[in-house]
Amino acid sequence: MNARRLGYLFRAVSSDVILVIVIGAALAFDFTNGFHDTANVVATSISTGAARPQVAIAAASLLNFAGAFISISVAATVANDVVDAAVITPTIVFAGLIGAISWNLVTWYFGLPSSSSHALIGGVVGSAVAASGFQVVLAEGLIGKVLIPAIIAPLLAFVAAGASIGLAYRVIGKQRPGIVSRGFKYGQVLSGGMLALAHGTNDAQKTMGVITLALIANGSLGAGSNPPIWVIASSAAAIALGTYSGGWRIIKTTGTKIIKMDAAQGFTSQGAGAAVILASTHFGFPLSTTHVINGGVMGAGAAKRLSAVRWGVAGNIVTAWVLTLPAAAAIGAATYGVTSIFGSGAVGPVVVTVAALGGIGAAFVRRAQRGAPVPVQSG
Amino acid sequence: MPGLAEIVETKELVQTVVFAFIAGVGVTAIFSVAIWGVARFVDLSQEDRPVAATAAAAIATLSLLVVMAAVVIGVIVMTSK
Repeated sequence: MNARRLGYLFRAVSSDVILVIVIGAALAFDFTNGFHDTANVVATSISTGAARPQVAIAAASLLNFAGAFISISVAATVANDVVDAAVITPTIVFAGLIGAISWNLVTWYFGLPSSSSHALIGGVVGSAVAASGFQVVLAEGLIGKVLIPAIIAPLLAFVAAGASIGLAYRVIGKQRPGIVSRGFKYGQVLSGGMLALAHGTNDAQKTMGVITLALIANGSLGAGSNPPIWVIASSAAAIALGTYSGGWRIIKTTGTKIIKMDAAQGFTSQGAGAAVILASTHFGFPLSTTHVINGGVMGAGAAKRLSAVRWGVAGNIVTAWVLTLPAAAAIGAATYGVTSIFGSGAVGPVVVTVAALGGIGAAFVRRAQRGAPVPVQSG
Repeated sequence: MPGLAEIVETKELVQTVVFAFIAGVGVTAIFSVAIWGVARFVDLSQEDRPVAATAAAAIATLSLLVVMAAVVIGVIVMTSK
């Protein structure tokens, strides 16, 4: 009797330890998401001179925080429509998160603006498949709510930004360049703010969705539940802190290496990006905000002059986009394999967490020793 | 295994495309009109044409108000679901 009770107690404590590790890993992912995506949100404002870097980043982090509170549609999609929540365990969610965080850090290290969102979804799908086979994947949700919008959204931002800048140049005609430039720089305060709000609402919700999925898997929430307020608030805080910490090397890629922008192009790319992300968020599509923002930047550049876009750099970014889902899925699956070596308890996640923290620490030290940012080939 | 047409939520996807395109292009177009109005107001004021300058200023002001209204409506729609 006592042994049975002890066994039950051990399993309960073990499950709670895994849940705490998962929530910590999810919030760490959210932090790296903000850290990784700072560039996407503020690069155009900084590169056109519309805002000083410190001001742009501080404002973006505040608006990221606010944005996280305005919708939960995307969180519901991630929690309920991508993998079968009934067979998911906290360990599977943990392995998926490690896959996403690892891929985020690799692309950050090399200065490539890949998608944190696809890394997260890829990681969770990969670890779920490794644990329970392909039948755990909800094809309708994954294809209809993630993959198809993932293809359409950046193209839409590209076309909308291209059409916008064409229309803007036509309306402005031959007005004084000084007034026009100042006007669009003021406008970028608004468009940059909307973009930061949009980024916060779509990206923070993915973390909310994953934590909610882990809570459902642990039995702490019922199937189909929405994220509790503490999950929303902690996800908002993590992404805002990550954004404030910023990814300076990726700013360089997005802001100056894809295209040299004027203020009108900055305004239109940010406006188109914000419109696409907000509309998609409203319908619960977990987009890659990175893809959308870069689509807008390229559209604004290509509409003015095709050769203005450095297609070699754009090609490198597209390569990173294509690799993200399978790479994060592979790391997620491998992580699940490693954790399962230690059984179904908390030992596996603890060992992997310690190893991951060691790896991350080593990467930061190595990067600090190298000093200058890794250049992105402009091929 | 359902077909692609059944998997994709076509109505929501089309609405996303339409709303995003209209909002993105529309706000930029109206904001451009506002900047045009400001630029014309400065030029016309220097040319000593007060009526035309006032009209340009009115167009600029109205356009800015429309842009602000569009942003507010967008946020309200987001929070209403």
